Amino acid sequence: MRLTRNGSRTPLRTLAMLLTALGLGTATVAHAQSEPIRIGLLPPLTGPLASPGREMVDGFKLFWDQVGNTAGGRKIEIVIADTTCNPDQALTQARRIVHQEKVHFMVGPLCGHEGPAVAQVSKETGVPLVMDAAGADTITKWDRTPTVVRTAVSASQIGHPFGEYLYKELGLRNVTFIGQDYTWGHEVTLGAVRTYTELGGKVAKIIWNPLGTRDYGATIAAIPQDTDGVSAVVVGVDRLRMFEAWFNFGMDKKLKIHGGYWMQQDVLPQMDDRAIGLIGNSLHYAAGLDTPENRAFTDAFARKHKRLPSWFAESAYTAGLWTKTAIDAINGKVEDRAAFLKAMRQAQIKAPRGLLRMDEYDNPIQNVYISKVQKIKHPVLGEVLTNVPIKTYEAVSQFWKWTPEEFLKRGPYKR
Amino acid sequence: MPKAARILLALVVLAAAVLLPRVAGPFWLGLVTQMYVFGLLALSVDLLLGHAGLFSLCHASFFAVSAYTTAILQVRHAVPTALAAPAGILAGTILGLVFGLAVRTRGVYFILITIAFGYVVWGVAHRWSSFTGGDNGVTNVPFPALGTLRVESPTEYYYLVLAVLVLCTIGYRVLVASPFGLTLRGIKASETRMRSLGYHSDLHLYVAFVVSAALASLAGVLYVYYNRFVNPVAASFPISVEVALMAIVGGTGTIVGPFIGSGIILGLRNWVSSFFELYASVMGLVFIVVVLWAPDGVVGLVVRLWVRAVKAGTR
Repeated sequence: MRLTRNGSRTPLRTLAMLLTALGLGTATVAHAQSEPIRIGLLPPLTGPLASPGREMVDGFKLFWDQVGNTAGGRKIEIVIADTTCNPDQALTQARRIVHQEKVHFMVGPLCGHEGPAVAQVSKETGVPLVMDAAGADTITKWDRTPTVVRTAVSASQIGHPFGEYLYKELGLRNVTFIGQDYTWGHEVTLGAVRTYTELGGKVAKIIWNPLGTRDYGATIAAIPQDTDGVSAVVVGVDRLRMFEAWFNFGMDKKLKIHGGYWMQQDVLPQMDDRAIGLIGNSLHYAAGLDTPENRAFTDAFARKHKRLPSWFAESAYTAGLWTKTAIDAINGKVEDRAAFLKAMRQAQIKAPRGLLRMDEYDNPIQNVYISKVQKIKHPVLGEVLTNVPIKTYEAVSQFWKWTPEEFLKRGPYKR
Repeated sequence: MPKAARILLALVVLAAAVLLPRVAGPFWLGLVTQMYVFGLLALSVDLLLGHAGLFSLCHASFFAVSAYTTAILQVRHAVPTALAAPAGILAGTILGLVFGLAVRTRGVYFILITIAFGYVVWGVAHRWSSFTGGDNGVTNVPFPALGTLRVESPTEYYYLVLAVLVLCTIGYRVLVASPFGLTLRGIKASETRMRSLGYHSDLHLYVAFVVSAALASLAGVLYVYYNRFVNPVAASFPISVEVALMAIVGGTGTIVGPFIGSGIILGLRNWVSSFFELYASVMGLVFIVVVLWAPDGVVGLVVRLWVRAVKAGTR
């Protein structure tokens, strides 16, 4: 038995020995920390959210390229695994990068419904997860995992200020809410509905559209006559369909529509000048934000990719910045997961989108910008449409103005 | 292939499966567990597709309903596995009793009606978020436990799935070799002839549908304990299509076929996608190749080559 095995597998054995010498050998003989830090990135590179997934990779890589791919005195290696925006695939890929690629921590995912799946892997393996764009409220509220911290945003966090804005700044009293019918859409829309109605606003109607709704004519026909304003939470290709339908039906002459989550930077190149002047988003990032950090970021991004970054790129960039800050703080000892997570929780970040710090429930406290679509003259790109902040809600917590206990007792936003 | 050789082959495969955890790392072990679970689901689809000639596109429904039932009972109501798992299978089977009415139709109408059924279940899972958790699904499903006997690691769970799988395969083998199985194949070959011989074909197909739904439900339970969470994707149309493709790629009307198909499709998806972004095109190519050169699937191809080799040997 042994003879045949030796005989038939000599090349394999040699290879295995070589690999052992290279990998395990250095690990035991040399200092463990001279090995690179391996970060697993979990974007959707194919499937319905492939283009935000691409933004995520671009933003993350841009950051690490800028800092020479080092942190805490160690080299950084990024392992990218395609989640395809499917939770099963996200789970399997997360397990793969943890077990096969031996990543020290994971960053991602992007699609909301993949969040719980990847958090599961973090829970069962203890490998920290830095949650990126996946915004499910529950991750940092009712269903927290000790090894999961979030560096992007929790869905209703951007909805709450918008409700107040509709009531106080726009003076609306009878708003129609258009929302995308899935978890993220529910949480953003109903977050705004909550703050708006608490101030005394009346809801004319809430219209839910499934993801990938082909015809927005029915939605527009359903808007009540007596409404004094429309709020829109629209995602994916629906953003364009909604945009076209709004103008094709001549609604722009009758009513004002305000985007709670609608005209993100990635869709603006496909829209035209009719978008100028509309409120595009209530979001924790706007590419037109005029701060030195953001100018540096957007210029670098624009030079490299010939477009302005969306919040997906900024989030991933900031996830890079945040993890580097934490790795530096613990001198690169990412093997100590508890120390890494503690450093992540304690870090104060000056990100392109503003000052950031973690609340006690592992979600960033950050500014939320109400932005208007404008045409600006960009030093690299020339004339471009972008979101320019018109009102800043500073240091917004995921619990808005309620105490965490109150919020948690009330339960998640559900339609 | 002579019977003795078949049994020997089965034993060798089984021995390899038993020894696998000794050589495979946690990722591969997890992936193989997933292949078993989806193989079982593909097998349930194939009972209709390969034996009765019915192309069902709603099997994700039974799969998901049982997964959801088990998960919700286990997570929200702390019901032990001994009750939650059978309840899941029961729920999926009951749904099968209802959806089974689809056997009143044939051909493309059957396909369409099962697609519609599948979308209903997906819609409920997706939209009724106060009960199903919407997109977030139901998370934190524990490993199964039976009294003091509890599964505590993925390796132990692997063996559990393998054991269930072996039992199911044996049961399936008995079923398809029985007069009932013969009747199904008779109906597939010529329904009018079977009717004129006095067989109640609708009833046979209905029973086959329900049995198939029960098997899919069992796969759903195994799935939820493997994944440790379930969300509407489990009920979605692509899953139904994918498992049907697994059966076709592996070889319909066989027992190993669906498992081979599941291995190929999940293997490709997870392995190729780790280094090649356009892995979906690779899958597409595989399907084209199968349709063109191996319409009976991998098993059919192997059998064909085997027969050719034997003929060449005797010549």
